[in-house]
Amino acid sequence: MNARTLPIPGRHPAPPDKLVIGIPRALLYHRYAVLWKTFFSELGAQVVLSPATNRTILENGSALITDESCLSAKIFFGHLQTLVGRCDYILVPRIANRGRNREFCVRFSALYDMARSIFRQTDQRFLAYNLDVLAGWEEESAFLQMGQSLGYPYKAVRRAYDTAKREEQRTFKAQVRAQERLYKAEGIKILILGHSYLVRDAFFGKSLIDTLRKMEVIPLRADLVDREAARRAARELLPTCKWEMNRELVGGMLLHRNQVDGVILLSAFPCGPDAMVNEMLLRRCKGIPILQLVLDGQSGTAGIETRLESFVDIIRLKEGKL
Amino acid sequence: MQAMQPKKKVAFPRYAEYNCAVRYLVEQGLEATCVLQPALTRHTEEIGAKYSPDFVCTPFKTVLGSLIEALEAGADTLVMTHGLCRLGYYGELLEQILRDLGYSFEMVNLSQYSTGRKKDWLKAAQRINPKIKLPRAAAALLETFKMVDYLDEITARYYQNCGFDATGGEYARAYRQFLTALYRVRSRAEIENAYHEARQAFQRIPLDKPAHPLRVGIVGEFYTAMDAFSNLGTEQKLADMGVEVHRWMNVSHRFLHYSGEKNLNVRIKDLCTYEMGPTSTANIWCARDYAARGFDGLIHIKSANCTPEIDIMPVLQRIGSEYKVPTLCLTFDSQTSDVGLMTRLEAFYDMISQRRRKTF
Repeated sequence: MNARTLPIPGRHPAPPDKLVIGIPRALLYHRYAVLWKTFFSELGAQVVLSPATNRTILENGSALITDESCLSAKIFFGHLQTLVGRCDYILVPRIANRGRNREFCVRFSALYDMARSIFRQTDQRFLAYNLDVLAGWEEESAFLQMGQSLGYPYKAVRRAYDTAKREEQRTFKAQVRAQERLYKAEGIKILILGHSYLVRDAFFGKSLIDTLRKMEVIPLRADLVDREAARRAARELLPTCKWEMNRELVGGMLLHRNQVDGVILLSAFPCGPDAMVNEMLLRRCKGIPILQLVLDGQSGTAGIETRLESFVDIIRLKEGKL
Repeated sequence: MQAMQPKKKVAFPRYAEYNCAVRYLVEQGLEATCVLQPALTRHTEEIGAKYSPDFVCTPFKTVLGSLIEALEAGADTLVMTHGLCRLGYYGELLEQILRDLGYSFEMVNLSQYSTGRKKDWLKAAQRINPKIKLPRAAAALLETFKMVDYLDEITARYYQNCGFDATGGEYARAYRQFLTALYRVRSRAEIENAYHEARQAFQRIPLDKPAHPLRVGIVGEFYTAMDAFSNLGTEQKLADMGVEVHRWMNVSHRFLHYSGEKNLNVRIKDLCTYEMGPTSTANIWCARDYAARGFDGLIHIKSANCTPEIDIMPVLQRIGSEYKVPTLCLTFDSQTSDVGLMTRLEAFYDMISQRRRKTF
């Protein structure tokens, strides 16, 4: 049997009508939300999202995995728990890489099997697609296989994937264009360089962005950028960096560093790739104010606010606006 | 005629006892000089931690300290390996930190050469010696493999038996002599000789071993589980309590005799569907194998912040509860104290030995 025809585990002859698919609103949801939601709704499945992150979700997630895990993983497992028992399947893809030097943090390779072990006492089924281009699994074949293993016919899956992919590209391009306009706006602009799952998180990233807006600063996101151009731009600064998302973030910053007044390096404690890449960035990238913020889930917002205020004050002072 | 290029003084970070093999390959195969920095100490870890980012994994700090010690010892060329986890980015960041500290050296970062094309490895070797003689290098490479193979075999045997030495020290002395010999060998014959001497010594030394000793299996991260300094001699401490210590994970098993990700994965399909990390499949398989063979306990060794090893913990817990085998998870960082570790290991030993008494 060829690898592509291998059934995914937990396969069962599902009735294609009204499957309920749960999607945790954490980690790569913030990168692939449109792709995932469109794919399943095009197939006719019902998509259930976990609620927006709150303190209870974080606390429950922290209790499920070892405290050495990163904040984002704790949030993820908290989200997963809210969905367990409520859906036919919960989507936890295994995402390893999109090719050489386009890898993801190893944690994304492990999430599916971690979830299976952690929730082994329940009869919850998890649904995965395996994105591992170095091992021969392109996104397209992985989606086709996932859809067919749920019992949907090839043609329907193919159509759903094509629609979802188009929709994903269209919305992302629109987001990038909207942000490009903001770069030209008047006022103090601060670029937030942090993983989308942190910046877009309703509990952590949102409070940061709101605080910045209150200070009349225009917050911008480094992850909203032409991804390919950004990866190319990061080549020179980080030649052997193999993490796709970190290269995009750093490239996003390099492409726009002359259009912003300061940069915030936002990371979750203790993010593996960020620990190294941000250190490198601080050592190699001079001449622009950089604030490093590490969120650990313990701190109240007061500490963060103080640091943001002094950072913005420094920028204003530097530009003679204070 | 071109002037003779001086030989490069090459150094590699200290890594368990494998530096003897690195030295053999560099000196016999690449015909360069290998600078052997001092063995790892607290001081190594302290200087490494001082210049490292905070929440990078502990081996990074140890490796940085070890490279600083190599440069202080006169090395002019540093070799850093590539890797599948964060290890793959070690080289670039290490180089930057060392340059910022003001050191001047040549860096051979294997991450730059891991492009999937085999001839790029040759380019890396040519950086160390541009006039590399291929037949000689290939022969030395095979001999190095043999050496690693022997080293792992003797080390495994040592930790399985040294706790039962009836002579009070002969066994440990024979192992130390073997290691010393490996750091000095210059030819295939000398490697074979050292190996056979160690084997004969191990056969000769009388053991006082019960028919069914307590057996503990060690799984864990590729650096910390193997490096006696980094895990504060966990294996020796356990062996000294009278335990047969098993550890499958070593360089020869993972690289030279590895049955391949797919072949190993089929044996643990029920526990894990995908490859969770570079050594995860091997560790999960190995832990289950120990549990199924009726080992008295499992110990999971990792460094602080090691992402792949943190992620297999739920699977190891599952193995522990399904096979009812006590599992101790140990995390090491540069702060871990010897006394704290001893207390935990003693408690673990008491528990597994009492369980044994209840079952028999």
